Amino acid sequence: MSIDWITVLAQIANFLVLVWLLKRFLYRPILDGIDAREAEISNRMGEAVEAKDKAAAVEAEYHEKLRALHVSQAEMSETIRKSAEDQRDALLADAAQQMQAERENWQAHLGDEAQKFTAELHRAGTETLLSLTRKALTDLADETLEERMAHHLAGELGSMGDDLKKAAGDATQATIVSHDALPAHVQDSLKAEVSALFPKAAVVFKTEPAQAPGLMLRLGGAQISWTLDSYIEGLESLMQDRLSTGAVSKVTADAL
Amino acid sequence: MNLSPDETIMFEVWGLPINATIFYTWIVMALLVVASMLITRNLRPDVPPNRWRTTLEVIVQGIQSQINEVARGSSRYLLYYAGTLFLFVATSNLLLVVPGFEPPTSSLSTTTGLAISVLIAVPLFGISSRGIGGYLKTYVQPSFIMLPFNIISEFSRGISLAIRLYGNIMSGAVIAAILLSVAPFFFPVVMDVLGLLTGMIQAYIFAILATVYISSATAPSPKPQKDIP
Repeated sequence: MSIDWITVLAQIANFLVLVWLLKRFLYRPILDGIDAREAEISNRMGEAVEAKDKAAAVEAEYHEKLRALHVSQAEMSETIRKSAEDQRDALLADAAQQMQAERENWQAHLGDEAQKFTAELHRAGTETLLSLTRKALTDLADETLEERMAHHLAGELGSMGDDLKKAAGDATQATIVSHDALPAHVQDSLKAEVSALFPKAAVVFKTEPAQAPGLMLRLGGAQISWTLDSYIEGLESLMQDRLSTGAVSKVTADAL
Repeated sequence: MNLSPDETIMFEVWGLPINATIFYTWIVMALLVVASMLITRNLRPDVPPNRWRTTLEVIVQGIQSQINEVARGSSRYLLYYAGTLFLFVATSNLLLVVPGFEPPTSSLSTTTGLAISVLIAVPLFGISSRGIGGYLKTYVQPSFIMLPFNIISEFSRGISLAIRLYGNIMSGAVIAAILLSVAPFFFPVVMDVLGLLTGMIQAYIFAILATVYISSATAPSPKPQKDIP
């Protein structure tokens, strides 16, 4: 066991060099790295605390917005409900108005149809009555309707002679209007009857398809006539009464 | 058989003989420095630590915590010094298991050099901490009569440090060598394992005692309390 003092000095020098080298390549990098990491962790923890505070603030703001949203939602729901009720009332009123208009249109259409039906009934009734009357007169009395109408008008002239003269005054033309053209012997018969009462008046025959079947004498301001209109109107009123009441009864001649 | 590697000359540099103690010391130094450089070369804050860096951090922080337990409020210079002592002695002793390697700590010259460095470091740390006057006062405390005893205590510390480390490591190496020649199959392995344990313990003891000596020199002296009337 001996001590080599040169080796001792060399080992002291080696040790001091090793201290410097390890300080340079081991302790300082490691400790600086640890310090940097601790500082980074500290910073991140600070940032995390700050982020947590921000998150708490955002959460509180969110809850506040949520509460306000609930309040706004309730108000909006109430507004929407009222608006829906108003719109419903408006739609109902509009629908009622439209229904009223439809009803009126339908009533008008119904009236038009009734008028058409009445006109058609009038025309068909006239033709039927005219046809039946012609046939009945031909079958029973071997006469035509025009002859009987002329005979009736002549009878009227006889009974109303004085009144008719007063009303006619100084008329120079007597116009006999008929629905269809009268046969020649009927015209002659009527001409003779009128000329007997009013010798100064010229007798003129006219046909007017718009006039109801029958005869009409116009003499100045006087006028006498016989047409089927009164019969047709009686028939229409009787049929309308029966249709409206739904009753079915025998149609009497008096009713016409 | 050489009891000390000082007697083994490995080679000469410019006429200076380099013995095995210095040669293996250089190997240990190179091993520690190169390993440190390799591990800490890519040490940047943006690079995540790998397992080697983590290992080094565990070692350095372990040393730091041990020093902090002994010396409260110690400086980094104490870590550099005591940590290097521990790493050098521990690495030297661990390399005992490498065939053909003679640990420098089995040389009395190495342990003496380390002990002398401790003897020098203690007053240096004490003076840097307390100042020259404050440090010299510790030799005459509690009274001037204690001056020679304190001086003897200082030197005996160094001698005990040197002899303890040398004796343990050298005896382990010598016993392993003797057993290797007598019973080469079983006992050398057991002795090597025992030597590793002893070497680590001695490294720890050497570094801790150096830290205790330095911390006792750097610790602030208690202020005299005034008598309460």
